[in-house]
Amino acid sequence: MNRLEITRAGPLTSVQDAGRPGMLGYGVAASGPMDPSGFARAQAAAGVSCGAAVEFSMAGMAFTYRGGGATLGLAGGAFTASRNGERLTWPGGAKLQDGDMIDIRPGPWGNYGYARFDHEIDVPVLMGSRSTNVTVGLGGFGGRALRAGDALALMALASAPASLRAAGDAPDPDQPIRFIWGIHADMFSHDDRAAFCDTPFVVSPRIDRMGVRLVDNGIFAGQRILSLVSDCVVPGDVQVLGDGTPIILMADHQPTGGYPRIATIVGKDRPRVAQARPGASLRFAPISLDTARRLAL
Amino acid sequence: MRDIEARYRPATLLAVGDNGLLVRFARELEEEATQRAIAFFRVAEQAGLPGVVEIVPNLVSVLLRYDPRAVSFDALAGEVRLLFAREAVPGSEAGAYRIGIRFSGPDLAEVAERLGLSRDEFIEKHNLDPMRVLGGAFAPGFIYCGLHPEDMRLPRKSDVRPTVPPGSVLFAAGQTAITSTTIPTGWHVIGETDFRNLDLSAMPPTRLRAGDVVQFEALS
Repeated sequence: MNRLEITRAGPLTSVQDAGRPGMLGYGVAASGPMDPSGFARAQAAAGVSCGAAVEFSMAGMAFTYRGGGATLGLAGGAFTASRNGERLTWPGGAKLQDGDMIDIRPGPWGNYGYARFDHEIDVPVLMGSRSTNVTVGLGGFGGRALRAGDALALMALASAPASLRAAGDAPDPDQPIRFIWGIHADMFSHDDRAAFCDTPFVVSPRIDRMGVRLVDNGIFAGQRILSLVSDCVVPGDVQVLGDGTPIILMADHQPTGGYPRIATIVGKDRPRVAQARPGASLRFAPISLDTARRLAL
Repeated sequence: MRDIEARYRPATLLAVGDNGLLVRFARELEEEATQRAIAFFRVAEQAGLPGVVEIVPNLVSVLLRYDPRAVSFDALAGEVRLLFAREAVPGSEAGAYRIGIRFSGPDLAEVAERLGLSRDEFIEKHNLDPMRVLGGAFAPGFIYCGLHPEDMRLPRKSDVRPTVPPGSVLFAAGQTAITSTTIPTGWHVIGETDFRNLDLSAMPPTRLRAGDVVQFEALS
């Protein structure tokens, strides 16, 4: 049986496929890759149809491949990868033979990378997806992050899925993050809204699959929005906590929120938020719904 | 007359990013808005709205998530406005459930006292009328029921219990809630139930839907 024997796993290494959208009403966030564009590029790098990914975080991971020949695709951020000590290109593909050791180490940028195979990762399908929701311990490999010593079985792909359509270019880190004004934007003062667009924000060290917490730069210190009726939130929502700290909600977000949401980042730019390392500076720019739709097409 | 006015009072349609449309009936927790949200949820579910991939009922709003490649916000908003005058069609009747509660929660005595009731009076009053399921996306399988009459409302506790088990019955903010997973909560824990709303292997994974009617019963 083909399998991956995990020999090293950084925090938040997990099994992710395209996610389980449509479950928010049942209290389950969609999960899926933090950087969907990197997830797609890993398949493009493999050059063949692939199954679910192992998503790893900044510290990377290492595994030994067991079984017959297989194809590997690697992408997302820029990591340093090797096979049996020989450097691999990034993003890139590689043929795997029994006993090959793949080692993925931190590179110049990015928080999340993806290893995909011309096989499916044999974990149970839960609510239509193999993705791990680490917040509630649901799906993937026992509902949890992977760690050294785990073995992931690989099986044949169920069917030839989607085309290997071009996944687009790697994100440009210098452009502003584009957003649509949030459902509570009108509750913020004009000055607060202007400052949100004019002031750079620094990514804090508190980033995970639930959200990206920004460093409080003081612009929301005066906002006093109380007693909102909680309702469901979506990935990309920018919530401003009571103390003025903004948090951008990500793939494993809690399903509902009661904090005011000043903005919602468009899907196209969410991968750049996911890949921004602590200390990175982000700027935000509002766009129209028409522009956002053109980006999504 | 009041019903007709309520039906035509404009809801607010808001963009939620590039793939969401929020239909907001009120900004505050109002009984009438909760009813309108449920009614709209039921109608929207049957309407076959173009490009819509998910409909999520909230307490006083409904979120439609759509595929922006299939429909624009403006086109969808037009379709949504056409639904406001429509009644739910037969076949969408709410489910009715009886759910037994063991009123044994650690906060029960305090809740009753703060409402000026004895323990038994509180239980009787709590279970007197059926409640509607208002929504539940807070956690997997979680549901809120309500709203309670004004004299049965308490705010949340000032402190948070780090965990309560599945099947906990919670009380606050004019609602009774049932947990399906282990969660932290700032609500008052008034009891527990054997009713299990969540089955992750089933589709849909929850038994109760917004708009269903629940009659609570005390178990000894």
